[in-house]
Amino acid sequence: MAATRAGPRAREIFTTLEYGPAPESHACALAWLDTQDRLLGHYVSGKWSKPEHRNSVPCQDPTTGENLASCLQAQAEDVAAAAEAARTAFESWSQLPGAARAQHLTRLAKVIQKHQRLLWTLESLVTGRAVREVRDGDVQLAQQLLHYHAVQAHTQEEALAGWEPMGVIGLILPSTFSFLEMMWRICPALAVGCTVVALVPPASPTPLLLAQLAGELGPFPGIINVISGPASLGPVLASQPGVQKVAFCGALEEGRALRRALAGEGAELGLALGAEALLLLSDAADVDSAVEGVVDAAWSDRSPGGLRLLVQESVWEEAMRRLQARMGRLRCGRGLDGAVDMGARGAAARDLAQRYVREAQSQGAQVFQAGDVPLDSPFYPPTLVSDLPPASPCAQAEVPWPVVVASPFRTAKEALALANGTPRGGSASVWSERLGQALELGYGLRVGTVWINSHGLRDPAVPTGGCKESGSSWHGGPDGLYEYLRPSGTPARLSYLSKNLNYDSFGLVVPSALPAGPETGPTPAPPYGLFVGGRFQAPGARSSRPIQDAFGNLHGYVAEGGAKDIRGAVEAAHQAASSWAGQSPGARRALLWALAAALERRESALASRLERQGVELKAAKAEVELSVRRLRAWGAQAQAQGQTLQLGVLAIVCPDEWPLLAFVSLLAPALAHGNTVVMVPSGACPLLALEVCQDMATLFPAGLVNVVTGDRDHLTRCLALHQDIQALWYFGSAQGSQFVEWASAGNLKPVWVSRGLPRAWEQEAEGAGPELGLRAARTKALWLPMGD
Amino acid sequence: MSTHNQGTELDLSWISKIQVNHPAVLRRAEQIQARRPVKKEWQAAWLLKAVTFIDLTTLSGDDTSSNIQRLCYKAKYPIREDLLKALNMHDKGITTAAVCVYPARVCDAVKALKAVGCNIPVASVATGFPAGQTHLKTRLEEIRLAVEDGATEIDVVINRTLVLTGQWEGSDFIKTSTGKETVNATFPVAIVMLRAIRDFFWKTGNKIGFKPAGGIRSAKDSLAWLSLVKEELGDEWLKPELFRIGASTLLSDIERQIYHHVTGRYAAYHDLPMS
Repeated sequence: MAATRAGPRAREIFTTLEYGPAPESHACALAWLDTQDRLLGHYVSGKWSKPEHRNSVPCQDPTTGENLASCLQAQAEDVAAAAEAARTAFESWSQLPGAARAQHLTRLAKVIQKHQRLLWTLESLVTGRAVREVRDGDVQLAQQLLHYHAVQAHTQEEALAGWEPMGVIGLILPSTFSFLEMMWRICPALAVGCTVVALVPPASPTPLLLAQLAGELGPFPGIINVISGPASLGPVLASQPGVQKVAFCGALEEGRALRRALAGEGAELGLALGAEALLLLSDAADVDSAVEGVVDAAWSDRSPGGLRLLVQESVWEEAMRRLQARMGRLRCGRGLDGAVDMGARGAAARDLAQRYVREAQSQGAQVFQAGDVPLDSPFYPPTLVSDLPPASPCAQAEVPWPVVVASPFRTAKEALALANGTPRGGSASVWSERLGQALELGYGLRVGTVWINSHGLRDPAVPTGGCKESGSSWHGGPDGLYEYLRPSGTPARLSYLSKNLNYDSFGLVVPSALPAGPETGPTPAPPYGLFVGGRFQAPGARSSRPIQDAFGNLHGYVAEGGAKDIRGAVEAAHQAASSWAGQSPGARRALLWALAAALERRESALASRLERQGVELKAAKAEVELSVRRLRAWGAQAQAQGQTLQLGVLAIVCPDEWPLLAFVSLLAPALAHGNTVVMVPSGACPLLALEVCQDMATLFPAGLVNVVTGDRDHLTRCLALHQDIQALWYFGSAQGSQFVEWASAGNLKPVWVSRGLPRAWEQEAEGAGPELGLRAARTKALWLPMGD
Repeated sequence: MSTHNQGTELDLSWISKIQVNHPAVLRRAEQIQARRPVKKEWQAAWLLKAVTFIDLTTLSGDDTSSNIQRLCYKAKYPIREDLLKALNMHDKGITTAAVCVYPARVCDAVKALKAVGCNIPVASVATGFPAGQTHLKTRLEEIRLAVEDGATEIDVVINRTLVLTGQWEGSDFIKTSTGKETVNATFPVAIVMLRAIRDFFWKTGNKIGFKPAGGIRSAKDSLAWLSLVKEELGDEWLKPELFRIGASTLLSDIERQIYHHVTGRYAAYHDLPMS
């Protein structure tokens, strides 16, 4: 290593003109570890806590393997103590005026500024990442994040009226993370009045240092509590009283497991999964700059993961030549050296890369490695993999750091198909000097963030997040704030876990329905069939279920929908999706208003059906009237708000109560934001929804709205397990909610469940509040840098 | 110059195909300056190397034979002898790459260099420097006269009227600027030029030299320029035949840094001889 190598004399360097070591002293990091006697515990409620009889894990320098300190591993009672501290702190912190929280965050930013050298040397020392990236990137951004969120706290009372902080937030971080990931999440949480318990992986001292810096600021020591321990403590953290949300960032499969483990626990779960990025290089690109983009994305220690690189065939040779030449000039070495591009990230990361590259090679790929890389074992060179057969396992798997997998494409359309053909939806960059093409590609990519002619830019005001299996939690910007807010007056989330719920059998079998006597009462007979693809269709099962009125008489028969009907409905919804998403907000408004007018014309029929369900005539008329108002209000909002981004196909299981109003209140925001929907109407009285379908059949494009009646548990099961539904709202039993949360782990679709609690659909806040709109749309950040 | 650009068929599609993304180039320029710090002996060696790339320049209206003489002496002995000895570099014959003067001062420079026994080339700006807006006839005559007087390198100001109307000229070396503009050598511009040099080399096998000029005053700047060339073109461009820095005050700052490296103290202005 450089430190032990005898320095060559100036004469020699004069001839070779080689780079030398530019080591950053990490004496202050070691001195800080000494203050803890090289034994790190947890930092809870403004104090170090070092409980006895705990296992400890060594914290090592990933480059030299030298033991820097020991870190105590938390147990369940340590987690409980931290959650208790955060809960106590929440009581005072959440009651502060926003301006006071703003002051506190600003003070924290200043403390970081004062101790930044300690922060960056410690972080680079223990993670092995290039110190330049930590010093010039992470530490500066951490301060910007605090300042930005201080401003958000300051204006909270006005800007976020009607919302309140959720409570204690549990944060679970992966072992290969930068402390910045923690900052992205704690800043908005603290700004809106939440307090935090962060469960960090063993041997991550930087979050502990941050907690100490924050704790020493005084009056609110318990707002940031950091405990180190294995990720398996996640469910323990989630089940602590007061913990209202768990934010997890890490590997896909861990996130999936956590989603399943937390089903039925009260806490909401926000996931940000995977680390792979995508770079799309078109023939109209500044190729040299795009190559620098690849370096930024994969080989500059900025990003945690690898890169999938798509290159247009006509510039493939040129791009590869430039990329390989550039790779030759990359420098790897000890992260604390100011002149290296890439550090070492420990044995686990190296082994992962090595395994992937070997497998890719065995599957027929070409591997190119270059750069000035020390021969010692912890390093892995910058690697370019090409000619990987598209169907090989490696082509499907997530690309690890520091690997770039390049493949060619012929046309922009094909590029989009390739780019979108993975379950991941994190971030991507598009390189093209043709603005129209770049924007089209940026629009078409199904990812959370798109950078045009740049890669990896971050700003506190710009939300960052993902879609598909990358998880749908956001940080930064307004979206980051809503992650930690709920509508004022929402009851606290408590565990509703039903231990004896059998996931394998829930809703699997539909009980047989038999004829239930003659249909009586007012004609005409209710419409029969499933409303799929714009018309009423007989169900695949060819059987029906009787619906009784409030007096125990048979009200009518509805079709008994099943798995195949759900499949058909989802297909129909997908077929209608792109044209509906492409409609102008004005056109969406017009359609919602047309439906409102149709409901007004149908008022007497709807009211009499409601009467048969036991609603008094006056109340029945009021329900119809309110439903009409909801459609008009969302229509108006759609046009006023302008273009938003749709989720895709949204499945909605409506509550049993309010068979008309709840159906319309859920349908309207979903359509207003450009989604197509598959709905399961009220089980007690689906006939109201079917009445509405008669108007939708004539007014709406086929497939825009699909309504499937039948056994609710069975239909819920089919929807929750469907891999090609982009979001699911469930209003029903506690067991159904738990099942939906559990099953959503399949494609990690965002779910919104009622947990068996009733909702006041007739109230403005719960029946038509902004929460519905937020849940019906998604965000995408598009960067287009310009100027000097 | 040992080898000349043999030229090639003018293919304007090379130029029309070039794409440059301005914000991306700016980012790269920022990164290059931050990512390759050079310290200790490396810094000393790199600075001495930088000295050998300098076209030590005086382009003032009031230049006379006396300050030209001083300039040439400094070109021959750019760093104090005792400092070089301390670095064991005194026998390397370190001089600047050339001296660069106005055509009317070429005679003075040739004479002065001969007097100190120095065989480095005399470069002259010519052709209506710095605007280039004179007739072709007088511009050619200017070059002829400068060469007659003993100049071996000519910094030609290209006719920018022709460039801006899409009519290009060829050369052995390309230079960022005259040093007389409000904005002179900047990293973003240099990155674009260096990439063009590399592309031309890849297409034709001809190596074109590069000379940033104007505004390069500090030793730290000179290190960044060296690493810029090293990163974008590679080590084979780091020789006086292919890389020059046009500068007048840079050398004294380099000497001050060397002084500091050797003695551990910061020099006063009077500690080092002026040029």
